[in-house]
Amino acid sequence: MTQTLSDVWLQVPALPESVAVARQALAGLCEALEVEPKILADVKLAVTEACTNCVVHAYGGEEPLTQNRIFEVEAHPDGSELQVLVRDFGRGIAPRAESPGLGLGLPLIAALSKAVEIRGAREGGAGTEVMMAFALTETLKGKK
Amino acid sequence: MNTQQIVVDNAEAGVAVVAVHGEHDVYTAPSLREQLSSLVEDGTPVVVDLTPATFIDSSILGVLLGGLRRAREHDSGFALVIGDESEPTVRRIFEVTGLFPVFPVFSSRDEAVQAARSSSPE
Repeated sequence: MTQTLSDVWLQVPALPESVAVARQALAGLCEALEVEPKILADVKLAVTEACTNCVVHAYGGEEPLTQNRIFEVEAHPDGSELQVLVRDFGRGIAPRAESPGLGLGLPLIAALSKAVEIRGAREGGAGTEVMMAFALTETLKGKK
Repeated sequence: MNTQQIVVDNAEAGVAVVAVHGEHDVYTAPSLREQLSSLVEDGTPVVVDLTPATFIDSSILGVLLGGLRRAREHDSGFALVIGDESEPTVRRIFEVTGLFPVFPVFSSRDEAVQAARSSSPE
């Protein structure tokens, strides 16, 4: 089931220049929540990697920029957690022999977040959703 | 100054220092890749100074790995500077990916220039 979150909601073209827009929006939310710098750094990096996947992988390089070639970012603080959802409407995750990246995006997201869930966007629809959760304090994350 | 500037400084004799300022990701990765490729193809030893960078992602890490690989193919020097005053975010991606030992990383530009110069043939 697709969750709908509210505190930050962005819908941007799946273009390289959009990634910084999403990152800055999340950084702004984290600063408003006064999260620690290390957690802010992890959120910025994980969200950047998830958005980059939307730009680089979701739609294929040859397809023209259409109204549907977009990605969405939603973020919502929930108690001690920050939940972030990055959603595209592309072709889904599949191995790509010609992938231009290092393949580090999803492992990085997994390492930087408290929990991550990756799923098809909508029943019968196209796309991918990456749902990430971040602990809002280092203590809650189980670190010093 | 452009907040995402990549500045190539050739003031160090025989070594190009590429200073990466601000936030860099998939949008600016092609520009950095082009700069590094051009220098390495010319056989110029390269130092990439990440100290003024405030954010880098795996796209940039990929560009740096590509630069290191091509420099080795050309038997040319390649080193990184991540100063003590670097943003935690920049250090963090090297820590999480375990790639710190892969690169020659120095905390000062002088040390990195020295290393890049000495690992290139005269």
